[in-house]
Amino acid sequence: MTDECILTVDEKMATVKIKIDKEAHIIVKKELCRECTKRPCLTICPAENYQWNEKGNELIFNYEGCLECGTCKLICPLDAITWSYPKRGCGVKYRYG
Amino acid sequence: MIKIDKVQCIVVGAGPAGAACAHVLAKKGIEVVVLERGRKVGEKNVAGFVLFTPVLEYLIPGCREKAPLERNITRFDTIDMDEDYFNVSQRYIYSYRDDPLCFSAFRGKFDPWFAMEAQKAGAELIAGQTVTDLIFDKNRVVGIKTEDEELYADVVVGADGIHSVVAEKTGLKKDPGKMYLIVKEILDLPPDVINQRFRLREGEGCTVEGEFELDVENLVTLYTNKDSVSMALDCVAEDLIDEKAKAHDLLEEVKSHPYLHSLLEGASLREYQAHDETINREPLKPESMYGDGVLLCGEAGKIIDMWGTGVPPSILSGMMAAQTVEMAVQKNDFSKKTLKNYINFLDSTSLWRTMFESGKQEGYNEIIADIMEKSHRRYYDFSRREPYPLWKDIYFQIGKDFTPFFLHWIIAGWLHFSSFCSSLYNKIKKIFKNRYYEWKKDYERKQ
Repeated sequence: MTDECILTVDEKMATVKIKIDKEAHIIVKKELCRECTKRPCLTICPAENYQWNEKGNELIFNYEGCLECGTCKLICPLDAITWSYPKRGCGVKYRYG
Repeated sequence: MIKIDKVQCIVVGAGPAGAACAHVLAKKGIEVVVLERGRKVGEKNVAGFVLFTPVLEYLIPGCREKAPLERNITRFDTIDMDEDYFNVSQRYIYSYRDDPLCFSAFRGKFDPWFAMEAQKAGAELIAGQTVTDLIFDKNRVVGIKTEDEELYADVVVGADGIHSVVAEKTGLKKDPGKMYLIVKEILDLPPDVINQRFRLREGEGCTVEGEFELDVENLVTLYTNKDSVSMALDCVAEDLIDEKAKAHDLLEEVKSHPYLHSLLEGASLREYQAHDETINREPLKPESMYGDGVLLCGEAGKIIDMWGTGVPPSILSGMMAAQTVEMAVQKNDFSKKTLKNYINFLDSTSLWRTMFESGKQEGYNEIIADIMEKSHRRYYDFSRREPYPLWKDIYFQIGKDFTPFFLHWIIAGWLHFSSFCSSLYNKIKKIFKNRYYEWKKDYERKQ
């Protein structure tokens, strides 16, 4: 590792254009998350949209910063994630792809 | 919103597969509507991206000059590393300098251009509408539903990518197998710095690929664009979870490796992207690519070759789906019985047969890799519609070294002659088939 700046996920996400929909396109049944031992969503999301609140012992999830990769739906062990693409042209807008 | 109730064909997705399908259908005079969930075509798509042009050249001659492409890729670098060593080997192909085979590109630029070509040919495009469900009539797909509208069609072509809604709702969706998460960055660097660091001639580019020494199974790829470098890290999602490793953090680790650091030092981040991918190492199951009133192409049908290149097979499958739809329109039958000809159309191309010849994984891959390197063009030359036997390729590349001089001329002569005869036979068959269909149409019209 060098002394050069290592980019954080927030710095990376700042380069992504997203049109936020009023409606959430991913809904998580947070009551199931307390029972989950693995919590792979915390590791796998490339935008770190899933975070764990230690104090409240609950999942914090933001659909607004979603890159629409679809990985979270596939790896959730408790099927707590209802996943779909955002509607009406909302969501991520990659300029270069 | 254009008010249409029923069309002949709906294509879901305006990526390469969907745009290719719509382009061919529009050229044939078939009414086609393409639905794209992004407001702008290409804004939802991510790929490496290196485009191999021969397949596209068949659809759009002169595409190498017309399409928005970055650098002409003439060199392929491979990284091989272990905890004890790091090795880079470079293969420069002289012929690609003047007769390019592949280019680096951006999906955000290529996809809109390709979809525009389909629109110029006569396809309708509706952007910003997401297909959420299909409409069925006794197990047959007869239309689609978006968040706002319902639209009916004789046949629906699903080209909506790796998490295809069409594949899911028709039950054609297969177990994804090993899922890869790709995190990718576009890194800005001035063109002369890229030329200097990567040791490239003006206008030429290279790809750098290899598995890095990380705790997860991965693939690192770098492609040089005009004034940027695309860098992607593919990781197996399960490995990331087991190792509790974040893909975007691993990407930083890879970038700071001395070799890559020497190439990318000082680059600033232009855009960050993430996407899912599967690399298909199993033979495809044809029965899961079509159904009553529905066809799947591109990633929606899991049509990615075993090296992970997705766009040329997607374009090919889109074109063959269009041929199948044309046949269904001529026969006025959109059931599985006619749509299963999709597989026959695909099978008749040398690209398909070479990619998906089933059951011979061991050793076969080495032969194919060798043939690919020596004759990239022939591998992608699917304009030969007759069955193109693989053993012919193997003979000319490898076998002829082992045959005595006079025997080689006999074998080569016979292979060329038989190839010529079968191509002539297929051309004559096609002419007579077209005449028959035209006669039948006239006859039915008179009835």
